[in-house]
Amino acid sequence: MKTRIFSLAGIAVLLALCIAAPQMLDAYSLGVALQLLSWIALTQSWVTFSGLTGYVSLGHAVFYGLGAYVMALLWQSAPLWEILLGSGFAGALLALVIGYPALRVSGPYFVILTLGLSEFFKYIVIAVEAGLESSGRLIFGAPDPETLYYIMLLLAVVATLLTWGLARSRWGAGLRAIREDETAAETLGVPVTFLKIAAFVISAFIPGVVGAVWVLRTTYFEPMQLFSPTTSFTIVTMAIIGGSDRAPGPIFGAAFIVLLSELLWARAPHVYLVILGVLLVSFVLFVPKGISGQLAWLMRRRRA
Amino acid sequence: MNLKSIALRAATASAAMLLAATAFAVEPVKVGVGIAQTGMFAPAAIPALNAYKMWADDLNASGGLDVAGTKRPVKLIVYDDQSDFTKDAAIYEKLITDDKVDLLLSPYATPAHFAIVGVLERYKFPMMGSTAASVQLKAVKPGNIWFPTSALPDVMGPELVKLMKAQNIKTVAISTLQSPFAQEVEKYLKMALKDSGIKLLSSVEYAPDIRDMTSIVSKMKSEQPDATFSLSFPGDSVLFMKAAREQGLSAPFQFVLVGPSAAFFSKIFGKNLDGIVTMGHWSPYQTKWPKAMPFFEEYSKRYNETPDYLDVALAYMSCEITQAAVAKVGLDHDKLRKEISSATFDTIDGPVKFDGVSNASTPTMFLQNQEGKPQIIWPASDATSTFQKKGPWAN
Amino acid sequence: MDQLASTQLLLSALVLASIYALVALGLNLIYGTMRLLNVAHGELMMLGGYTSFWAFELLGVGTLWSMFGAIALTAALGALCYVTVFRYVVRNRELAARLESNSLLIFFGFSIIIQNGLSIAFSADQRSYTYLNGIFALGDARVELNRLAVLGVGAAATAACVLFFRFSRLGLATRALIQQRDAASLVGINADRIQLLVFCVGFGMAGLAGSLVSMTETVTPFGGFPYTISAFIVIILGGLGNLTGGILGAVLLATIEIYGVALTSSAYRSILVYGVFIAILFLRPQGLLGRKMR
Repeated sequence: MKTRIFSLAGIAVLLALCIAAPQMLDAYSLGVALQLLSWIALTQSWVTFSGLTGYVSLGHAVFYGLGAYVMALLWQSAPLWEILLGSGFAGALLALVIGYPALRVSGPYFVILTLGLSEFFKYIVIAVEAGLESSGRLIFGAPDPETLYYIMLLLAVVATLLTWGLARSRWGAGLRAIREDETAAETLGVPVTFLKIAAFVISAFIPGVVGAVWVLRTTYFEPMQLFSPTTSFTIVTMAIIGGSDRAPGPIFGAAFIVLLSELLWARAPHVYLVILGVLLVSFVLFVPKGISGQLAWLMRRRRA
Repeated sequence: MNLKSIALRAATASAAMLLAATAFAVEPVKVGVGIAQTGMFAPAAIPALNAYKMWADDLNASGGLDVAGTKRPVKLIVYDDQSDFTKDAAIYEKLITDDKVDLLLSPYATPAHFAIVGVLERYKFPMMGSTAASVQLKAVKPGNIWFPTSALPDVMGPELVKLMKAQNIKTVAISTLQSPFAQEVEKYLKMALKDSGIKLLSSVEYAPDIRDMTSIVSKMKSEQPDATFSLSFPGDSVLFMKAAREQGLSAPFQFVLVGPSAAFFSKIFGKNLDGIVTMGHWSPYQTKWPKAMPFFEEYSKRYNETPDYLDVALAYMSCEITQAAVAKVGLDHDKLRKEISSATFDTIDGPVKFDGVSNASTPTMFLQNQEGKPQIIWPASDATSTFQKKGPWAN
Repeated sequence: MDQLASTQLLLSALVLASIYALVALGLNLIYGTMRLLNVAHGELMMLGGYTSFWAFELLGVGTLWSMFGAIALTAALGALCYVTVFRYVVRNRELAARLESNSLLIFFGFSIIIQNGLSIAFSADQRSYTYLNGIFALGDARVELNRLAVLGVGAAATAACVLFFRFSRLGLATRALIQQRDAASLVGINADRIQLLVFCVGFGMAGLAGSLVSMTETVTPFGGFPYTISAFIVIILGGLGNLTGGILGAVLLATIEIYGVALTSSAYRSILVYGVFIAILFLRPQGLLGRKMR
């Protein structure tokens, strides 16, 4: 009970800090915070599907890129909120359409299939843009970073609550059962297909909105960069480093990578990425539960 | 020598020393850059960064940057954007607010320029652009960024047609990479070809991760055009050139968009680069630009390779313009903005004056490699040589 | 349409198919025996490519010789990699429980290290050299000799590997390990030795492929990733762990790239490649020749 009150108070303080951040931070740090929040939201959304089901998606960049594309197309032709929601629904709709056939594929086949799907839609967008004779889309009059920060904060909070809520719900239990043994779960009456697709669709909504906000930040849409597979790889990295099936995991994972990058990239541009690679490998080898799993384990041991 | 004069001497001496000391303690002028040092664009971006570094070192060797009459040393602050233009906004914000730089130099390539337009606008920070070329640049609000390039697709199209007509070319085949800049060139080239009397035999586009251009080149070859256009970026330019050589593509006029001006390209193709036409508006062999050859020689000596005739020239021009404006009006942003918008600057590419965001004085030109040298072959007013038909491919 | 029947296109398709088959082979071996997703495969190719580039530039040694150096270097790296990291990974129960995503991340880490290590060592410049670039005319087709070398060496190496794993004792043991991991150890197959062998051969073939490709394309620290994706598509099409299926996958991918493009338009190259890949997996979730996953 006591720890519960402590953690609730901790969360309240953290949230208050997040809300006050734009007043306290300089422009650059606000940019970093914006980036951090976007990664938290993306990684959380990945965890709601991949973390729980064990279906490792290497294609989350497609929802992100699609959201960005919707924003680039519709900017200034509708109110901001409507386009943001539209971007989210575009991501979710895509997940719904590809969900059924894609989720019949499993294991490593699924990993590479999602990467292939992401690349496929990237090149579709490139071809469409070529057909429209558009050569990159420049966005003028984007909202200031503070507004974007609060939208992103909202997204990160919603995504975290989603993971948290889903993990404790009956659905969450069903999804975990799929991860442990899909055939057994199905025999026991878990609506496997429905649950998988539902989780996939939910996890595609947030990246759509995040992509839309991010393209307002960069003010330029170009498919090769916004659909880049690097985004998908980074999400998976953050999720695994943070610990991938509980809500605090993505927050730790994203914070760790973003802050580490901040610490290193300006000081040692070339060596930084090598260090990042070494750290990544060491993490998988020596902290296989992820940061949040390791912390929980340490706390349990202290109590015992 | 009385006591008084000794005291006087001591006083003047110490005053002189004090003065010398303050002169040494002059704050360096901080110049910020965010540019790709790692990742996909690094091979192309690093030569541009080299131009910045050479500029800064030369200034420091000659006593520093003239800031409205006072010489101050220059300190470059360089960050790596990892070839990800979505990082550039944050980097330039950091340069402005955290490092508190006095001046900025530009990142590499059009998307990265676009990504920081908003930041420059927000902080009212004037900056010379360099390696950006897009018709969309003209949509950028003038005032805080200027683009020295004259290789803009909407002018390149009609000029290319004029150049071809002058060579009596009747038929054309085009292949285009699906990438913003190449597609803009394609669009305006096709527009200019309409009603020009030159027949467009075929025009194909290809996706960015193409691996083999055999079928594109063999189709082109079978149509026997007078002119071929490979609107490509360095990676696929190499593929195109290799396939063209392999199959003996024999059009007398062969244009390759991005790549031929870079040093690595001539290392790969050597003699086979001769005769290839490309975009670019600078050549060290233009004697009416006295600064051109010394720059070429210094860069070649220092980095042991030739400068890219487009990117490196543009990067260096942006330094020259910044330097001249600062010498005249100092570091005040409003004064700099006014100065850059109105003055005419003497650069390695001749005089440059801006109209809005774009270079109003340098005409759109084309280069052709002739005996290993980049020669300007169009327009006649700036040409260093005349167009020569592409000879047979060497073995 | 007579362009479709030309020797020129056929040769291109064969060259591409043989390089894809070779690249995919190494990936397939490592996945098949140990369930490891090696996303650093393309970076290993670039290591091989740099070996041949520097051998040519500094020592004047041709690729047909330096390719053995490339194989030796990458195979040694494979051994090192197995002994220091993956022996531990496959034995550790916690790590082995999620072997696919864990190996994906470890190799992702390796790919970042290799890319940036190469970039620090050799700069990010695009490297290329001219070797065996004489033109060979075959009917109306003209092809550079180095592409024929890629075709010949690539096909020979792929065939040799497939035959080795099909008929030799060690190869049989490896295939037993691919098919029935637990049973294999029961009948006394030394899994550790075989896994070491597989790492050496798998990495070595990537090095060889990179060495060959360096004759026809530029080498950069960041040029490996597209090959990694292509290789994954090939082995998934053919069925993971199925070496013969990999060859089929390579031929299929090369056919789409060359003839698919010639038939439709080069603008659709990537859409075709990924589209066919997705369609096949949607219809046959276990790949063309793959067995149904449990």
